[in-house]
Amino acid sequence: MTLSAFIEDVPSGIAGKVRASAGSEEQVLIQVATDMAGRASFGKRFLVVTDQRLLVLDSATDDVDIPLTQIERVRSDALIGGGCLEVELRDGAPVRVYYSNSLTPKFAEVAEGIGLLIQGEDPNLPLELDRTHCAQCSRLLPEKGGICPGCIRKRDTLKRLLSYMTPYKARALLLVGLTLVTALIELVPPYIAKHIIDDVLTENGDLGLLYLYVGLLFGLAVIRWIGNVVRRWLNTWVGFRAMADLRADLFRSMQFLPLRFYDKRKVGSLISRMNNDSDQVEGYLIFDAPFVLSNATMIVGILALLFYMNWQLTLYVLLPVPPILIGSSLIWNRLQGYWRRWSARWARLSTHLNESIGGIRVVKAFAQETREGERFDRRNHALRDVSVSAERSWLVFFMVTNFFMSFGAFFVWYFGGVQILDGQLKLGELMAFISYLWMLYQPLKWFGDFYSFMVRAFAGAERIFEVIDARSEPFEDPRATPIPHIRGHVHFRGAAFGYDPGKIVLRDIDLEVQPGEMIGLVGRSGVGKSTLINLITRFYDTSRGSVEIDGIDIQSLRLEDLRSQIGLVAQQSFLFNGTIAENIAYGKSNASFEEILRAARAANAHEFIIGKNDGYDMVVGEQGNKLSGGEKQRIAIARAILHDPKILILDEATSSLDTLTEKKIQEAITRLVAGRTTFAIAHRLSTLRSADRLVVLEAGKIAEVGTHEELMAREGIFYQLVQTQQATSAVMATEH
Amino acid sequence: MGSDNTQGETKSLNAITPITVTHPERVDIDALRLFREPAWVLRLTIEGDRSYTRIKIVRAAPLSHPDQYISFLDAKDEEICMIDSMDQVDEPARALIREELDRRYLTALIRHVTSIRNEFGTSYWDVETNRGQREFVVQNVAENAQWLGDHRLLIVDVDGNRFEIADLTALDKRSQAAVEQVL
Ligand SMILES: Nc1ncnc2c1ncn2[C@@H]1O[C@H](COP(=O)(O)OP(=O)(O)OP(=O)(O)O)[C@@H](O)[C@H]1O
Ligand SMILES: [Mg+2]
Repeated sequence: MTLSAFIEDVPSGIAGKVRASAGSEEQVLIQVATDMAGRASFGKRFLVVTDQRLLVLDSATDDVDIPLTQIERVRSDALIGGGCLEVELRDGAPVRVYYSNSLTPKFAEVAEGIGLLIQGEDPNLPLELDRTHCAQCSRLLPEKGGICPGCIRKRDTLKRLLSYMTPYKARALLLVGLTLVTALIELVPPYIAKHIIDDVLTENGDLGLLYLYVGLLFGLAVIRWIGNVVRRWLNTWVGFRAMADLRADLFRSMQFLPLRFYDKRKVGSLISRMNNDSDQVEGYLIFDAPFVLSNATMIVGILALLFYMNWQLTLYVLLPVPPILIGSSLIWNRLQGYWRRWSARWARLSTHLNESIGGIRVVKAFAQETREGERFDRRNHALRDVSVSAERSWLVFFMVTNFFMSFGAFFVWYFGGVQILDGQLKLGELMAFISYLWMLYQPLKWFGDFYSFMVRAFAGAERIFEVIDARSEPFEDPRATPIPHIRGHVHFRGAAFGYDPGKIVLRDIDLEVQPGEMIGLVGRSGVGKSTLINLITRFYDTSRGSVEIDGIDIQSLRLEDLRSQIGLVAQQSFLFNGTIAENIAYGKSNASFEEILRAARAANAHEFIIGKNDGYDMVVGEQGNKLSGGEKQRIAIARAILHDPKILILDEATSSLDTLTEKKIQEAITRLVAGRTTFAIAHRLSTLRSADRLVVLEAGKIAEVGTHEELMAREGIFYQLVQTQQATSAVMATEH
Repeated sequence: MGSDNTQGETKSLNAITPITVTHPERVDIDALRLFREPAWVLRLTIEGDRSYTRIKIVRAAPLSHPDQYISFLDAKDEEICMIDSMDQVDEPARALIREELDRRYLTALIRHVTSIRNEFGTSYWDVETNRGQREFVVQNVAENAQWLGDHRLLIVDVDGNRFEIADLTALDKRSQAAVEQVL
């Protein structure tokens, strides 16, 4: 039998050691590196497993060589910030291989693999784990198997921003053309002025020529004015559209991002990307970017003219430029740091705002208004301080630059004056020169300002693109199997899952559920009941084993088909700020009012709804705050009922209801679940009376499965749970 | 429902007494014996009562009170007992606890920052720690760095590895500047 192998490259010294210890007929099955030398320090060590032995090697001499037959058990132990692979021996001290969290997924697999191997089975390791380094630039990836920010964003943030203009190409090009033309037209008037001074305003000047020049000036002014009006109009038109597209992209990406993404981020900081960052980009695209072009044209044009008119004088003008450039590059990093900090602090402020407004009831209940205010002040001051520092650095730089730049004018007056006195230069030329000089300073000064806007806008754009580039859920996968009509057969095959690698929540879940069956899930709080159903909806993917629906692995099913046929009443009922009717029809926006009524009746919500002033048109408030907990739950049930799912999931769907109301809903649900596969979670065990089978979870595993009677007869965990609940209600009854 | 009012301790009701929670398995600290037998198996015995192998020692508040509130868990991760301070046990036990904690908490203390590159909102750190040289990546430093005090900083990298700067002001000037640049 050939076994599958999982081999990483090792240095030649280690490879030599492997050959020395293992005979040539032995097959190397696992060969991996760890990033910790012992338990105390970083370093390299290697774990090698052949079909005969297990070796732990490093460059030093204290290597381990153990025959597989000696191994009792292998497990990976999650530590804080890493883990430890523990090889227990039949006798003697266990072998421990430590690794940092970066390698936890790998070692979890390896431990499992060795475990299978010592039982004489194929270790069955994945041939390739998610990459941790970028294949192109070998930078560490911010997310395993993710995209390298360095490689993707080298495609220039600017280029990417501009790509948002492509749909409006015609107008964008017209905009560019107009910008160039108006900028060039700006350059003409001083030149005409020069001719007026030198050719017309002389002793034998020609009045006709003056008419011509003034007429020209007037004509140019009119053209320039029209050009500018059209340009601005186009600019707004294109800019705001591009921006709206960018925001739409951002929002879409956020919607399609997997829950894992949200586990790691704070909502406030994501919202700040939508608000602040896109504001920055918007300001840049609409107000600044067009000036780049026109000002750049002006600068180039003016410099060319200046050199053409008088190159010696031009050199004097440019004298202050080198020190300014050096100064800018010095201050550049510092400013960038400030802006980054500024963004981060905004995000923090926004997170706090989001939290304290969202949790206002809790804040008030604990009378923490003042303290929240103080917390806000701290963040607000931090933001203020960094804004001030940034602005101050900027201002100093700007002032110094300006001062140096104005030196150019002194030089020109002095050297130009000398040249006129020597008769080398005409007055008109000097006047034109000085006009151009001031025209040159204008865009140069502006470029300084613009610089800081640009840094801010680009930082914002990068943060937006970071979200857009994050890997979304595989909605568009063309290889996915469509499944328009789910029958409702659900099969867990050896499924295991943990939110964090190495910290397993569920393991060895084997469960086959027939179409139309109702399963009751029971177990202590935190045991993983909600997690189990998260695997059915594919909010998270199993880390081992699989979940099949109608015999097909859900990872290869079309996600949209899957989710659209699952009805979920989640543990925390969430309603959107809209009317009750809208909320019920959330999953089926084209539902008729009759359908909404029917669903509400089935969920036993109808009576309380018509008791409200606005009935079905009542606006429920943000997150449904204007309704009671039980009312919200009933609307959530109605929402799931209207969705007409093939698989129904009720996670503590009736926990906030009194027993009488619950009983009524129970009847409705019993009618509803007929023919639908149902998973119901409840702590109140009486809720699960109608379940066909009960599944008891304990310590991340399925401990008992069976009908109510079977489990009672078995007198196991479920029996005890029922006993305790009955005992408590008996105590309650006698106390009253 | 789950409260302890079945325990028949009557209290005078005229004064508001603070809520006291007594652990059901309150253990007499003096009866605790922590030892290795054989050398690689850590055991906890409560003298005259019960004994555990395969115990886990964890900190209840690893960041704010690293040397207090040490909790002993059994193989099922259920708490056996907790000691409020290391001083409550004798020196050999203390050494064992220290060793176990050291093994469990792999946080590295940053001694020197060689360089921090910041690109595209992601920072790449190269540091010297008490566990040796290490490079790591932090996405969005502002969100993944947590101030534990005025000068104490905890940084969590993309993989969930932990790095701590015990006192930022105690680092050399260049390291400080590098850290301040990204925070
Ligand atoms: N998003 C998450 N990230 C990390 N850990 C999580 C997450 N959600 C749940 N957990 C952890 O996973 C375990 C199982 O949680 P789960 O929500 O499945 O419990 P449950 O059985 O539904 O409990 P309850 O009856 O209280 O609802 C818990 O220890 C919980 O802390
Ligand atoms: Mg739950």
